[in-house]
Amino acid sequence: MMKNILYLLLSILLATCLVIFQETISNLTWLLSVEMPVTFLIFFSTFFDNLLLMNGGGAVPLIALIGMGMCSAFLVARILLIWVNVNKPVAYGLAGAVAILAIVLLMPLAFYNLDILAGARSILGKSILTFYGFLSGYFFGSVLKKKV
Amino acid sequence: MIRKFNMLLLTALFALHINAEETTYQYENIAENLSHPWSIAVIDENNILFTELTGSLRIIEDGVLNPMPIGGVPDILFAGQGGLSGLILDPEFPLNQKLYLSFSSPDKNQKTNTLEVISAKLIAGNLTEVKTIFKAFPSRDTAAHYGARMAFLEDGTLLITSGDGFNYRERAQYLDNHFGKIIRINTDGSIPKDNPFINHKNAKPEIWSYGHRNLQGIVVVQGVVYENEHGPMGGDELNIVEPSKNYGWPAITYGKDYSGATISPFTEKEGMELPIKYWVPSIAPSGMAFYDGSLFPEWKNSLFISALVPGDVRRLEMLNSKVINEEILFSDLGRVRDIATSPNGSLILATDGPKGKLIRVVRK
Repeated sequence: MMKNILYLLLSILLATCLVIFQETISNLTWLLSVEMPVTFLIFFSTFFDNLLLMNGGGAVPLIALIGMGMCSAFLVARILLIWVNVNKPVAYGLAGAVAILAIVLLMPLAFYNLDILAGARSILGKSILTFYGFLSGYFFGSVLKKKV
Repeated sequence: MIRKFNMLLLTALFALHINAEETTYQYENIAENLSHPWSIAVIDENNILFTELTGSLRIIEDGVLNPMPIGGVPDILFAGQGGLSGLILDPEFPLNQKLYLSFSSPDKNQKTNTLEVISAKLIAGNLTEVKTIFKAFPSRDTAAHYGARMAFLEDGTLLITSGDGFNYRERAQYLDNHFGKIIRINTDGSIPKDNPFINHKNAKPEIWSYGHRNLQGIVVVQGVVYENEHGPMGGDELNIVEPSKNYGWPAITYGKDYSGATISPFTEKEGMELPIKYWVPSIAPSGMAFYDGSLFPEWKNSLFISALVPGDVRRLEMLNSKVINEEILFSDLGRVRDIATSPNGSLILATDGPKGKLIRVVRK
């Protein structure tokens, strides 16, 4: 049980890190395109700044938002797995993907159609974030030892 | 004992001093229960026009609010930060009754909208000869960051602030659109021949300056254009704007994104202008007025910036276009959306919200 909780937290942490990675890459790639002097050092320091500030300095801690989304999605996946015979990592992967996609799509509805996550503005950005959700869920499904 | 007594005496004197400062002005309510008052235009001492974001153009006539809104205002989109926004009188208003309104305008049969500016004549409580003189390109699907303030340059051309639309912030750096720009046009909607990018391939010829975010205040003082704009979380700016210059957003900024993310780790770059003042944390600057009245001589040559967060007015003492002192005033009124000066030297404030007020600040 404790191990499962740890795996859950790790998958939420992984998803959070990947979303922040996407946010950082998205902003810095554009800055590079307008000839701003972005270096690897700046990339790493910005990424670590974002890790701290997006979880403690923004309107809502990102990890809490992702945690709520993924816990809900994993719960649904676990219930469905009782009746549906699907590969467990894939099932949790899909659940993770749906969780992140829901966050990305629902957040603008709460903010006058504004994308608070800059990395989620484009279809490509949304797709990448959804894929990251899948990866995090897949990780969770893969490390679960106990069969549902 | 004596030391304690001295301390008490000092405290009392300090309190009296503060009290004396507080009593130099007082408020007079001009109008109450206004629906999101947004922009004020003073015709004369007792006649004041103002917009309500919800779509009404209202008038105070001989000191009394006319309960009927002015007719003939075009359809507007009231959503998010959008609505009937900016208002400015023509420099020849007493002769031609002409005024200019900016607003968020819904696109027909589409979910998009854009910033639009019209000119019109105010005749017998109605707008007539309504003409669109500017429409921002392209339209947006957001209802935020319109800018929508206006000011006249001394040559009679009109400056219009056009915000970055929030989701389109990067486009503030490109000249093929109107996001995050200051626009300069003639009052008939034509483009001045000396606009800086008029011969620039792929640039919108109306652009006067670029790299702005959400510009909420603009005034021209003896030929100098001052503009304030909202940063994201932190990084609100006061700029002196010159034609063709790039003000950096979002490549350089002192603010962070609302998610906490770093929009840019840079605060300066060659070729990008720096603000003459910035605020971290944000004050959410809104309207702006330059004071050269006689009612409060101690406020002469100050820029007044109304602010929404936490809600006050900033008096910036200016010397040679530099801010030499900042004083916080009227912090008991809540969010202040706009500020204007009146011919007798009083200040007119518009407080924000569904039960907004127009308040006159006079000497006590």
